[in-house]
Amino acid sequence: MTATSPLENPRPLVFFAAFSAGGLLTLMVHFNGELARYGNPLFSSWTAHGTGTIAAIVFLGLLYRRGRVMTEGRPPAPLWAYLGGLSGAATVMLSSTAVNSPLALAGTLSLGLSGQAIFSLAADHWGLFGLPKRRLTARNLVALALIIAGSALIILEGRNPA
Amino acid sequence: MIVAVLLACSAGILIGISRQINGRLSLSTSPLIASFWNHVVGFAFLTVLGLALGGLLPEGVGQVPWYDYLGGPIGVVFVAAGSWVIARIGAVNTALMMIGGQMVSSVLLDLALSVPTALLPTGLGVALVLAGIALSQGKRRS
Repeated sequence: MTATSPLENPRPLVFFAAFSAGGLLTLMVHFNGELARYGNPLFSSWTAHGTGTIAAIVFLGLLYRRGRVMTEGRPPAPLWAYLGGLSGAATVMLSSTAVNSPLALAGTLSLGLSGQAIFSLAADHWGLFGLPKRRLTARNLVALALIIAGSALIILEGRNPA
Repeated sequence: MIVAVLLACSAGILIGISRQINGRLSLSTSPLIASFWNHVVGFAFLTVLGLALGGLLPEGVGQVPWYDYLGGPIGVVFVAAGSWVIARIGAVNTALMMIGGQMVSSVLLDLALSVPTALLPTGLGVALVLAGIALSQGKRRS
């Protein structure tokens, strides 16, 4: 099932990278939350996308100078593949609306994680948006259930000290 | 309330969709280029939205300490990492590891910032998350 995906990197390294990226997400949410506290959620997301664009240009410039950017010989991407940012920006609008409902932050976070988990199952099963299909295993399902249950416990109970 | 529940779930689904789309773009370009387009397009969209709704430059912006602007550059690395990872281990494993990493690190950040935390449910939650990660590391190819 992994025939079409690059396998030059050992799996544990890729898993570790994903876990570390989750840590980056915590820092990002923290800083962007501070921006929203000084201003509002729209200002926070707008500013983060703006500073992010500048940072991406700087990073790409550094890679180009080292000759590390090679994209020749790859099949071109469909136009819609450039629109992932719309989905990311819309996320901010939906979640900042939900946070101000009776769900509050904890409810919004846990439902968001569940939505993300269920979508990932569909994405792998059907190979959505042009990525390779992957066969789902019982191990996948149990691991996902454990992580969602643990996250719900941390979010819903851990933040309410008795 | 039902509307709010749907909104919160949709927010999570949209995160998955953008990761999937950026992953597809990175197959044709590179993870960093995919992250660049993600931020440019999001910035353009939010600029239009902000001009229509107002509130892009709220009062109090002057008091923001410089380091609170680091969220954007961190986000670039995050999106690039997600695009790189999802093409290699798939959407389920990516979601699993990123959620796990986010939960464990947010507990650590809360402890570091002395945010009041109920230790028993939090410890149990971290244990469940780590068990899920350990399980996903099994030898069988997925």
